[in-house]
Amino acid sequence: MKRDNPFLVGLAAIAGLLFLSPVLYSIWISFQTADAYYTGGTAFTLDNYGRAIGQYDFARYLLNSLFVSGMVTLLGISFATMAAYAFARFSFRGGNLLFGATIATLMIPSHISLIPNYLSLAKVGLLDTYAGLILPAISNGFAAFFLRQYIRGIPKSLDEAAYMDGARPLTVLWRIIVPLSRPAIASMALYIFMTEWNSYIWPLVAVGDKDLYTLQVGLARLYRINPGEGLVDWPLVMAASTITILPVLLGFLLVERHLVRGITMGAVK
Amino acid sequence: MSSIQLQDIRKSYPNGPQILHGVSLDIRPGEFVVIVGPSGCGKSTLLRLIAGLDRCEEGRIEIGGKLANDLAPQDRDIAMIFQNYALYPHMSVRDNIAFGLELRGVPKTERNERAREVAKTLQLDAYLDRKPAALSGGQRQRVAMGRAMARNASIFLMDEPLSNLDNALRITMRTEIKELHRQLGATIVYVTHDQTEALSLADRVAVMKDGHLLQFDRPDVIYDQPRNRFVASFLGTPPINFVDAEALPCWQGPKGLTAGLRPDMLTVHGENPGGALPARIILSEMTGSEMLLHCETPAGRLTVTAARRDMPSGTDGLWISYDLDRALYFDSQTGDRIDLESHERKHARHG
Ligand SMILES: Nc1ncnc2c1ncn2[C@@H]1O[C@H](COP(=O)(O)OP(=O)(O)OP(=O)(O)O)[C@@H](O)[C@H]1O
Ligand SMILES: [Mg+2]
Repeated sequence: MKRDNPFLVGLAAIAGLLFLSPVLYSIWISFQTADAYYTGGTAFTLDNYGRAIGQYDFARYLLNSLFVSGMVTLLGISFATMAAYAFARFSFRGGNLLFGATIATLMIPSHISLIPNYLSLAKVGLLDTYAGLILPAISNGFAAFFLRQYIRGIPKSLDEAAYMDGARPLTVLWRIIVPLSRPAIASMALYIFMTEWNSYIWPLVAVGDKDLYTLQVGLARLYRINPGEGLVDWPLVMAASTITILPVLLGFLLVERHLVRGITMGAVK
Repeated sequence: MSSIQLQDIRKSYPNGPQILHGVSLDIRPGEFVVIVGPSGCGKSTLLRLIAGLDRCEEGRIEIGGKLANDLAPQDRDIAMIFQNYALYPHMSVRDNIAFGLELRGVPKTERNERAREVAKTLQLDAYLDRKPAALSGGQRQRVAMGRAMARNASIFLMDEPLSNLDNALRITMRTEIKELHRQLGATIVYVTHDQTEALSLADRVAVMKDGHLLQFDRPDVIYDQPRNRFVASFLGTPPINFVDAEALPCWQGPKGLTAGLRPDMLTVHGENPGGALPARIILSEMTGSEMLLHCETPAGRLTVTAARRDMPSGTDGLWISYDLDRALYFDSQTGDRIDLESHERKHARHG
């Protein structure tokens, strides 16, 4: 392997610090008292986290977010993988039309579907439920498209060998296609998770019950709860923000290797 | 052990030319059939149809006496060795071999034991835990072979299973396949480019060209009584020589025939024994105990074999005599082989 150029490494480190600095700054502030923040001093405290979790229910929001995003990821990646397998491997009546429709969903801004979704969920009585948060998000056209392209790159003779070995299509999917698509599936799972984690408008619209708030909705509410004579309690907001980004960071570290492989797969092959 | 009947199989790929033009084959239970033919003539396509991986537009496929056109590959009890191996890249050699057993519900210890046995006969036991990416071409080919062997399928389809092996290993594996066939009594359809393999393994050989089945018969019949010029030229090494019959000094038969002379029907002499062709050596190749001589004669190029100690020494010039009784005769126009006596008899009656 070639030795890294120290100049480039230094440059990358500086760029990394630049990107990281707002995050580090907000974490720093989240440990300050409000008085210190507004008077320009420094005074360490854990009180902001205590208030966010206790008084403002962020523990609950965190669990809600984890549950909703987790379910959306699980269901979304399952459906996307199955759809991708079908599109990649089988020709069936209406297949091209369906695939075209899948691609078309990528071109529709999500806000256009906000009102139709709201109305149909209202009709079946799913507003203010977890299902109402999860179901509209589990179909992901981009993931289906991306995985289909990836699966088409897997030689079809592997499927055929498995058929000769006695496998049925679902066995082929589970034992051959999924293991070989793992990097792509991991990338898409992370992508779906992050999209859902950051989603704000839909949870805001679909849920009125405070017990069902996700982190993003709860975070936005903090500004309104805390006007304190025109001031925002920034240390409290930053503590809540830190709680919000932490799981995503941890998740990213866990699947980062897969993610990088998935994105660069075109170059590797 | 199952019979395979193919009746008038036609196949074309979507938006492509027709690949198979009405192939009929009647393969008996437990028979070892070898399919030979030039590259692109449709051998793999035919295997895929038998396997059920592709569907044919026309024709009947019967397996074990039952119509199989609409049977899924999993339901045909066929094991197949693919021309490109198609090993599962994410599984170890052991799992590749045992996968088919696993899908049939064979318990883990039992199938691993079976995988080990198979790997042993294939000289793969040292590689059981490796992934296919870490194997050489020949080793991969043997894993593909093992994957089929591990199962007691009633039909084996093998698409050039030994093409990537070195000579010694190929001979070992040939014996192994023959042994497998004897033990299992399974029906085997085997595609190869190697005519030694074809002639030595087959109960019957099918010769294909451009999507047509030219001849399907015992190896000795194919060799001694090829249906036409193409079949004659395809089997036998060194290949058969074709000369215009009238160019042979002792020829007295009818006109319009081409004589097919296999190298062993020709003899070289230092002096003209009478009726021989004068020849000049263009190229001689040592093949061991024999020499392979490429000669220029008045009748055209001829390839002859001669034992090295029988070689006339000293000159480039020699004489080649030919055995007209053993020679094969073909209609120069159509290329079909002609049984000379009956042909002459016909002439006599008309004359
Ligand atoms: N999927 C396909 N689509 C279109 N044409 C195909 C397809 N597969 C094979 N062919 C064509 O069908 C013909 C026969 O192919 P096939 O693979 O059966 O030849 P083969 O006899 O096995 O040759 P080889 O000895 O080189 O393996 C070839 O001309 C090939 O181009
Ligand atoms: Mg082939």
